[in-house]
Amino acid sequence: MFSSSQLDATSAFAGGGFSFTQQTQPTDSTPSPAKSRETQGLVPVTVKQISEASQSGDEKSNFVINGVDVTNVTVVGMVFEKVGRNTDVAFILDDGTGRMKCRRWMNENFDTIEMEEILEGMYVRVNGHLKSFQGAKQLVAFSVRPVTNFDEVTFHFIDCIHNHLQTKSQGEGLTPTQPQLVDTSLSTPMRNGLNGSQTAPSSQLSGQFSIDGLKSCDQLVLDYLQQPSSIGQEKGIHRDELSRQLKFPVEKIMESIRSLEEEGLIYSTIDEFHYKSTASG
Amino acid sequence: MDTSSPSVFVNAELLRMHVGKKVRAVVHVTQSDGEITTGKSTDEHQLIVKGLPHVSLMSYVEVIGIAESDQSIRAETWTNFGNTFDAQSYNQVCQLANGEFKGLFL
Repeated sequence: MFSSSQLDATSAFAGGGFSFTQQTQPTDSTPSPAKSRETQGLVPVTVKQISEASQSGDEKSNFVINGVDVTNVTVVGMVFEKVGRNTDVAFILDDGTGRMKCRRWMNENFDTIEMEEILEGMYVRVNGHLKSFQGAKQLVAFSVRPVTNFDEVTFHFIDCIHNHLQTKSQGEGLTPTQPQLVDTSLSTPMRNGLNGSQTAPSSQLSGQFSIDGLKSCDQLVLDYLQQPSSIGQEKGIHRDELSRQLKFPVEKIMESIRSLEEEGLIYSTIDEFHYKSTASG
Repeated sequence: MDTSSPSVFVNAELLRMHVGKKVRAVVHVTQSDGEITTGKSTDEHQLIVKGLPHVSLMSYVEVIGIAESDQSIRAETWTNFGNTFDAQSYNQVCQLANGEFKGLFL
Protein backbone atom coordinates (compact mmCIF):
# COMPACT_ATOMS: atom_id res chain seq x y z
CA MET A 1 0.00 0.00 0.00
CA PHE A 2 2.65 2.42 0.93
CA SER A 3 5.02 1.30 -1.80
CA SER A 4 2.54 2.17 -4.52
CA SER A 5 2.23 5.71 -3.33
CA GLN A 6 5.99 5.91 -3.13
CA LEU A 7 6.30 4.82 -6.74
CA ASP A 8 3.66 7.31 -7.83
CA ALA A 9 5.65 10.04 -6.18
CA THR A 10 8.77 8.97 -7.99
CA SER A 11 7.22 8.87 -11.44
CA ALA A 12 5.58 12.19 -10.80
CA PHE A 13 8.98 13.51 -10.03
CA ALA A 14 10.79 11.78 -12.86
CA GLY A 15 10.99 14.96 -14.83
CA GLY A 16 13.12 16.52 -12.17
CA GLY A 17 16.29 15.33 -13.77
CA PHE A 18 17.68 13.19 -10.98
CA SER A 19 17.27 9.46 -11.00
CA PHE A 20 16.02 8.25 -7.68
CA THR A 21 16.00 4.65 -8.88
CA GLN A 22 18.37 3.39 -6.23
CA GLN A 23 16.64 5.14 -3.43
CA THR A 24 12.98 4.43 -3.95
CA GLN A 25 12.71 0.88 -2.63
CA PRO A 26 11.30 1.28 0.84
CA THR A 27 13.36 -1.52 2.33
CA ASP A 28 13.49 -1.82 6.04
CA SER A 29 17.22 -1.85 6.25
CA THR A 30 18.24 0.91 3.90
CA PRO A 31 21.78 1.82 4.85
CA SER A 32 22.59 5.35 5.91
CA PRO A 33 23.86 7.64 3.15
CA ALA A 34 27.49 7.42 4.21
CA LYS A 35 27.64 3.65 4.26
CA SER A 36 25.95 3.07 0.94
CA ARG A 37 28.63 5.11 -0.82
CA GLU A 38 31.57 3.22 0.66
CA THR A 39 32.71 1.63 -2.56
CA GLN A 40 32.43 4.74 -4.63
CA GLY A 41 35.83 4.99 -6.26
CA LEU A 42 37.44 8.32 -7.03
CA VAL A 43 35.42 11.37 -6.15
CA PRO A 44 36.16 14.47 -8.22
CA VAL A 45 36.64 17.43 -5.90
CA THR A 46 38.13 20.88 -5.78
CA VAL A 47 40.71 21.82 -3.20
CA LYS A 48 38.12 24.19 -1.77
CA GLN A 49 35.79 21.25 -1.14
CA ILE A 50 38.59 19.31 0.52
CA SER A 51 39.39 22.25 2.76
CA GLU A 52 35.80 22.26 3.93
CA ALA A 53 35.57 18.53 4.48
CA SER A 54 35.07 17.44 8.04
CA GLN A 55 36.27 14.26 9.64
CA SER A 56 33.85 11.87 11.24
CA GLY A 57 36.12 11.13 14.16
CA ASP A 58 39.79 11.41 14.95
CA GLU A 59 42.66 11.79 12.55
CA LYS A 60 42.36 8.20 11.40
CA SER A 61 38.72 8.44 10.40
CA ASN A 62 37.18 9.18 7.04
CA PHE A 63 36.62 12.57 5.58
CA VAL A 64 33.09 13.69 4.93
CA ILE A 65 32.12 15.84 1.98
CA ASN A 66 28.44 16.63 1.35
CA GLY A 67 27.51 14.18 4.04
CA VAL A 68 29.25 11.31 2.31
CA ASP A 69 32.38 9.44 3.34
CA VAL A 70 35.15 10.26 0.93
CA THR A 71 38.55 8.66 0.88
CA ASN A 72 39.81 8.52 -2.69
CA VAL A 73 39.67 11.68 -4.70
CA THR A 74 40.74 12.99 -8.05
CA VAL A 75 41.93 16.56 -8.41
CA VAL A 76 43.23 18.53 -11.39
CA GLY A 77 45.58 21.43 -10.87
CA MET A 78 49.07 22.78 -11.28
CA VAL A 79 52.17 21.45 -9.58
CA PHE A 80 54.33 23.82 -7.58
CA GLU A 81 57.28 23.48 -5.23
CA LYS A 82 58.06 19.93 -6.18
CA VAL A 83 60.58 18.46 -3.76
CA GLY A 84 61.98 15.04 -4.53
CA ARG A 85 63.55 12.80 -1.95
CA ASN A 86 64.55 9.15 -1.90
CA THR A 87 61.47 8.05 -0.09
CA ASP A 88 58.88 10.40 -1.49
CA VAL A 89 58.09 13.37 -3.65
CA ALA A 90 56.13 16.23 -2.17
CA PHE A 91 54.46 19.08 -4.04
CA ILE A 92 51.77 21.67 -3.80
CA LEU A 93 48.72 21.27 -5.97
CA ASP A 94 47.00 24.49 -6.99
CA ASP A 95 43.70 24.06 -8.78
CA GLY A 96 42.64 27.69 -8.70
CA THR A 97 40.32 27.13 -5.74
CA GLY A 98 43.13 26.55 -3.29
CA ARG A 99 46.55 25.03 -2.72
CA MET A 100 47.17 21.81 -0.88
CA LYS A 101 50.10 19.59 0.02
CA CYS A 102 50.48 16.34 -1.83
CA ARG A 103 52.86 13.50 -1.29
CA ARG A 104 53.75 10.55 -3.45
CA TRP A 105 55.58 7.67 -1.81
CA MET A 106 58.27 6.12 -3.95
CA ASN A 107 57.28 2.50 -3.46
CA GLU A 108 58.11 1.18 -6.87
CA ASN A 109 60.08 2.12 -9.92
CA PHE A 110 56.90 3.18 -11.60
CA ASP A 111 56.39 5.87 -8.99
CA THR A 112 59.82 7.35 -9.62
CA ILE A 113 59.46 7.27 -13.37
CA GLU A 114 56.04 8.87 -13.29
CA MET A 115 57.12 11.65 -10.96
CA GLU A 116 60.21 12.46 -12.98
CA GLU A 117 57.97 13.60 -15.81
CA ILE A 118 56.19 16.08 -13.64
CA LEU A 119 57.55 19.58 -13.92
CA GLU A 120 56.92 22.78 -12.07
CA GLY A 121 53.86 24.61 -13.31
CA MET A 122 52.48 21.60 -15.13
CA TYR A 123 48.79 20.78 -15.13
CA VAL A 124 48.29 17.30 -13.69
CA ARG A 125 45.56 14.99 -12.60
CA VAL A 126 46.22 13.61 -9.15
CA ASN A 127 44.43 10.58 -7.80
CA GLY A 128 44.96 9.77 -4.19
CA HIS A 129 43.48 9.57 -0.76
CA LEU A 130 42.91 12.21 1.82
CA LYS A 131 44.88 12.09 4.99
CA SER A 132 45.07 14.27 8.01
CA PHE A 133 48.51 14.89 9.41
CA GLN A 134 49.11 17.09 12.43
CA GLY A 135 45.89 18.92 11.79
CA ALA A 136 46.56 19.62 8.13
CA LYS A 137 44.84 17.87 5.28
CA GLN A 138 47.09 16.19 2.77
CA LEU A 139 46.65 14.22 -0.36
CA VAL A 140 48.59 10.99 -0.56
CA ALA A 141 48.83 10.45 -4.28
CA PHE A 142 49.06 7.11 -5.99
CA SER A 143 48.79 8.50 -9.49
CA VAL A 144 50.02 11.77 -10.96
CA ARG A 145 49.48 12.20 -14.67
CA PRO A 146 50.22 15.25 -16.82
CA VAL A 147 47.24 16.75 -18.58
CA THR A 148 47.74 16.78 -22.32
CA ASN A 149 44.30 17.67 -23.57
CA PHE A 150 43.16 20.72 -21.67
CA ASP A 151 39.50 20.00 -22.08
CA GLU A 152 40.28 17.69 -19.18
CA VAL A 153 40.56 20.75 -16.97
CA THR A 154 37.12 21.95 -17.99
CA PHE A 155 35.79 18.44 -17.65
CA HIS A 156 37.13 18.03 -14.14
CA PHE A 157 35.30 21.07 -12.82
CA ILE A 158 32.10 20.01 -14.50
CA ASP A 159 32.64 16.57 -12.95
CA CYS A 160 32.99 18.15 -9.51
CA ILE A 161 29.74 20.04 -9.97
CA HIS A 162 28.00 16.94 -11.27
CA ASN A 163 29.18 14.80 -8.40
CA HIS A 164 28.18 17.50 -5.94
CA LEU A 165 24.66 17.58 -7.36
CA GLN A 166 24.39 13.80 -7.39
CA THR A 167 25.45 13.48 -3.78
CA LYS A 168 23.05 16.15 -2.67
CA SER A 169 20.11 14.67 -4.53
CA GLN A 170 20.81 11.19 -3.22
CA GLY A 171 21.16 12.49 0.29
CA GLU A 172 17.83 14.23 -0.12
CA GLY A 173 16.24 11.23 -1.78
CA LEU A 174 16.75 9.29 1.39
CA THR A 175 15.04 11.83 3.57
CA PRO A 176 11.44 10.97 4.21
CA THR A 177 9.30 13.45 2.32
CA GLN A 178 7.02 12.85 -0.63
CA PRO A 179 8.16 15.13 -3.45
CA GLN A 180 4.68 16.61 -3.97
CA LEU A 181 4.74 17.90 -0.46
CA VAL A 182 7.90 19.89 -0.93
CA ASP A 183 6.02 22.83 -2.27
CA THR A 184 3.42 22.89 0.45
CA SER A 185 3.83 24.92 3.53
CA LEU A 186 6.00 22.30 5.15
CA SER A 187 8.77 24.49 3.76
CA THR A 188 11.63 22.10 4.32
CA PRO A 189 14.37 23.27 1.97
CA MET A 190 14.67 20.06 -0.03
CA ARG A 191 14.66 20.64 -3.76
CA ASN A 192 15.90 24.14 -3.25
CA GLY A 193 18.95 22.90 -1.48
CA LEU A 194 21.27 23.15 -4.44
CA ASN A 195 22.93 26.27 -3.21
CA GLY A 196 24.83 24.58 -0.50
CA SER A 197 22.13 24.74 2.14
CA GLN A 198 22.65 21.21 3.24
CA THR A 199 20.03 21.48 5.93
CA ALA A 200 18.50 18.65 7.83
CA PRO A 201 14.78 18.26 7.33
CA SER A 202 12.47 19.88 9.84
CA SER A 203 12.76 18.82 13.44
CA GLN A 204 9.87 16.38 13.39
CA LEU A 205 11.65 14.38 10.75
CA SER A 206 15.12 14.42 12.21
CA GLY A 207 16.72 11.05 12.71
CA GLN A 208 14.38 9.36 10.26
CA PHE A 209 16.96 8.87 7.52
CA SER A 210 17.08 5.14 7.78
CA ILE A 211 13.58 4.39 6.58
CA ASP A 212 12.82 5.63 3.16
CA GLY A 213 9.75 7.83 3.13
CA LEU A 214 7.76 5.90 5.69
CA LYS A 215 7.64 8.45 8.41
CA SER A 216 6.91 11.81 6.90
CA CYS A 217 3.18 12.40 7.03
CA ASP A 218 2.66 9.34 9.22
CA GLN A 219 5.01 10.66 11.85
CA LEU A 220 3.40 14.06 11.81
CA VAL A 221 -0.09 12.62 12.21
CA LEU A 222 1.12 10.41 15.02
CA ASP A 223 2.92 13.25 16.73
CA TYR A 224 -0.18 15.39 16.53
CA LEU A 225 -2.39 12.67 17.96
CA GLN A 226 0.10 12.04 20.74
CA GLN A 227 0.05 15.59 21.91
CA PRO A 228 -1.52 15.95 25.38
CA SER A 229 -4.25 18.15 23.95
CA SER A 230 -5.24 15.47 21.47
CA ILE A 231 -5.05 12.71 24.04
CA GLY A 232 -7.26 14.78 26.26
CA GLN A 233 -10.04 14.75 23.67
CA GLU A 234 -12.24 11.76 24.32
CA LYS A 235 -13.75 11.81 20.87
CA GLY A 236 -10.36 11.90 19.21
CA ILE A 237 -9.30 14.20 16.41
CA HIS A 238 -11.25 14.60 13.21
CA ARG A 239 -9.22 13.91 10.09
CA ASP A 240 -10.16 17.30 8.68
CA GLU A 241 -8.52 18.94 11.64
CA LEU A 242 -5.39 16.91 10.98
CA SER A 243 -5.49 18.00 7.37
CA ARG A 244 -5.88 21.64 8.34
CA GLN A 245 -3.29 21.69 11.09
CA LEU A 246 -0.64 19.66 9.33
CA LYS A 247 -1.44 21.21 5.98
CA PHE A 248 -1.65 17.95 4.08
CA PRO A 249 -4.42 17.05 1.65
CA VAL A 250 -7.07 14.83 3.19
CA GLU A 251 -6.15 11.88 0.99
CA LYS A 252 -2.61 12.01 2.36
CA ILE A 253 -3.91 12.15 5.91
CA MET A 254 -6.15 9.16 5.27
CA GLU A 255 -3.23 7.16 3.90
CA SER A 256 -1.21 7.90 6.99
CA ILE A 257 -4.17 7.10 9.21
CA ARG A 258 -4.62 3.77 7.49
CA SER A 259 -1.00 2.77 7.93
CA LEU A 260 -0.85 3.99 11.51
CA GLU A 261 -4.03 2.08 12.24
CA GLU A 262 -2.54 -1.04 10.75
CA GLU A 263 0.47 -0.60 12.99
CA GLY A 264 -1.82 -0.39 15.96
CA LEU A 265 -0.65 3.11 16.80
CA ILE A 266 -4.03 4.79 16.44
CA TYR A 267 -7.65 3.75 16.48
CA SER A 268 -10.93 5.19 15.31
CA THR A 269 -13.35 6.42 17.91
CA ILE A 270 -16.88 7.58 17.34
CA ASP A 271 -16.75 7.22 13.59
CA GLU A 272 -14.32 6.62 10.77
CA PHE A 273 -13.25 10.25 10.78
CA HIS A 274 -12.12 10.52 14.38
CA TYR A 275 -8.90 8.98 15.61
CA LYS A 276 -6.90 8.74 18.77
CA SER A 277 -3.44 7.53 19.58
CA THR A 278 -3.23 4.19 21.35
CA ALA A 279 -0.45 5.51 23.57
CA SER A 280 -1.66 6.95 26.81
CA GLY A 281 0.63 9.95 26.55
CA MET B 1 45.89 23.86 2.77
CA ASP B 2 45.41 27.40 1.64
CA THR B 3 42.26 28.68 0.05
CA SER B 4 43.00 32.34 0.66
CA SER B 5 43.70 33.36 -2.88
CA PRO B 6 41.57 31.48 -5.35
CA SER B 7 41.45 32.54 -8.97
CA VAL B 8 37.96 33.26 -10.16
CA PHE B 9 36.85 31.66 -13.41
CA VAL B 10 35.93 34.55 -15.68
CA ASN B 11 34.92 35.34 -19.19
CA ALA B 12 34.64 38.91 -20.49
CA GLU B 13 31.27 39.43 -18.90
CA LEU B 14 32.36 38.21 -15.49
CA LEU B 15 35.70 39.97 -15.59
CA ARG B 16 34.19 43.34 -14.82
CA MET B 17 32.79 42.05 -11.57
CA HIS B 18 36.22 41.03 -10.35
CA VAL B 19 38.45 43.92 -11.25
CA GLY B 20 41.44 44.01 -8.93
CA LYS B 21 41.11 40.36 -8.02
CA LYS B 22 42.93 37.25 -9.09
CA VAL B 23 41.16 35.70 -12.04
CA ARG B 24 41.65 32.97 -14.58
CA ALA B 25 40.44 33.08 -18.15
CA VAL B 26 41.03 31.30 -21.41
CA VAL B 27 41.84 33.58 -24.31
CA HIS B 28 41.90 32.67 -27.98
CA VAL B 29 44.89 34.64 -29.20
CA THR B 30 44.33 36.95 -32.16
CA GLN B 31 47.29 39.27 -31.76
CA SER B 32 50.55 38.92 -29.91
CA ASP B 33 53.24 41.59 -29.93
CA GLY B 34 55.49 41.07 -26.97
CA GLU B 35 54.02 42.99 -24.09
CA ILE B 36 50.36 42.99 -25.11
CA THR B 37 48.38 39.99 -26.24
CA THR B 38 44.91 40.42 -27.64
CA GLY B 39 42.41 37.64 -27.88
CA LYS B 40 38.83 36.53 -27.69
CA SER B 41 37.36 35.48 -24.40
CA THR B 42 35.29 32.32 -24.13
CA ASP B 43 32.20 34.46 -24.51
CA GLU B 44 33.46 36.04 -27.71
CA HIS B 45 34.53 39.45 -26.47
CA GLN B 46 37.91 41.04 -26.79
CA LEU B 47 40.31 40.73 -23.91
CA ILE B 48 43.78 42.09 -23.44
CA VAL B 49 46.47 40.25 -21.57
CA LYS B 50 49.64 41.95 -20.38
CA GLY B 51 52.86 40.23 -19.54
CA LEU B 52 52.67 37.20 -21.82
CA PRO B 53 55.62 36.22 -23.93
CA HIS B 54 55.04 35.79 -27.60
CA VAL B 55 52.37 33.16 -28.18
CA SER B 56 51.28 31.67 -31.45
CA LEU B 57 48.11 33.08 -32.96
CA MET B 58 44.93 31.08 -32.77
CA SER B 59 46.14 29.16 -29.77
CA TYR B 60 44.19 29.07 -26.55
CA VAL B 61 45.99 30.33 -23.51
CA GLU B 62 44.77 30.09 -19.97
CA VAL B 63 45.85 33.14 -18.09
CA ILE B 64 45.88 33.48 -14.34
CA GLY B 65 46.54 36.92 -12.97
CA ILE B 66 45.09 40.13 -11.65
CA ALA B 67 42.21 41.77 -13.47
CA GLU B 68 43.43 45.29 -14.19
CA SER B 69 40.29 46.57 -15.82
CA ASP B 70 37.09 45.15 -17.13
CA GLN B 71 38.90 44.24 -20.30
CA SER B 72 42.43 43.36 -19.33
CA ILE B 73 44.36 40.95 -17.17
CA ARG B 74 47.95 41.17 -16.02
CA ALA B 75 49.28 37.65 -16.29
CA GLU B 76 51.13 35.90 -13.49
CA THR B 77 50.87 32.35 -14.74
CA TRP B 78 49.83 31.06 -18.10
CA THR B 79 49.38 27.74 -19.78
CA ASN B 80 49.13 27.08 -23.46
CA PHE B 81 46.00 25.04 -23.94
CA GLY B 82 46.82 24.23 -27.54
CA ASN B 83 44.92 24.93 -30.71
CA THR B 84 41.90 22.84 -30.02
CA PHE B 85 39.92 23.65 -26.96
CA ASP B 86 36.25 23.60 -26.11
CA ALA B 87 35.77 27.26 -25.26
CA GLN B 88 32.03 26.90 -24.92
CA SER B 89 32.27 24.36 -22.14
CA TYR B 90 34.85 26.44 -20.34
CA ASN B 91 32.50 29.38 -20.67
CA GLN B 92 29.74 27.41 -19.01
CA VAL B 93 32.07 26.43 -16.19
CA CYS B 94 32.74 30.17 -15.69
CA GLN B 95 29.04 30.79 -15.34
CA LEU B 96 28.43 27.85 -13.02
CA ALA B 97 31.47 28.58 -10.88
CA ASN B 98 30.30 32.13 -10.29
CA GLY B 99 26.66 31.29 -9.94
CA GLU B 100 24.96 28.32 -8.46
CA PHE B 101 28.11 26.42 -7.50
CA LYS B 102 30.24 29.25 -6.20
CA GLY B 103 30.70 27.38 -2.95
CA LEU B 104 32.75 24.70 -4.61
CA PHE B 105 35.21 27.24 -5.96
CA LEU B 106 35.49 30.40 -3.94
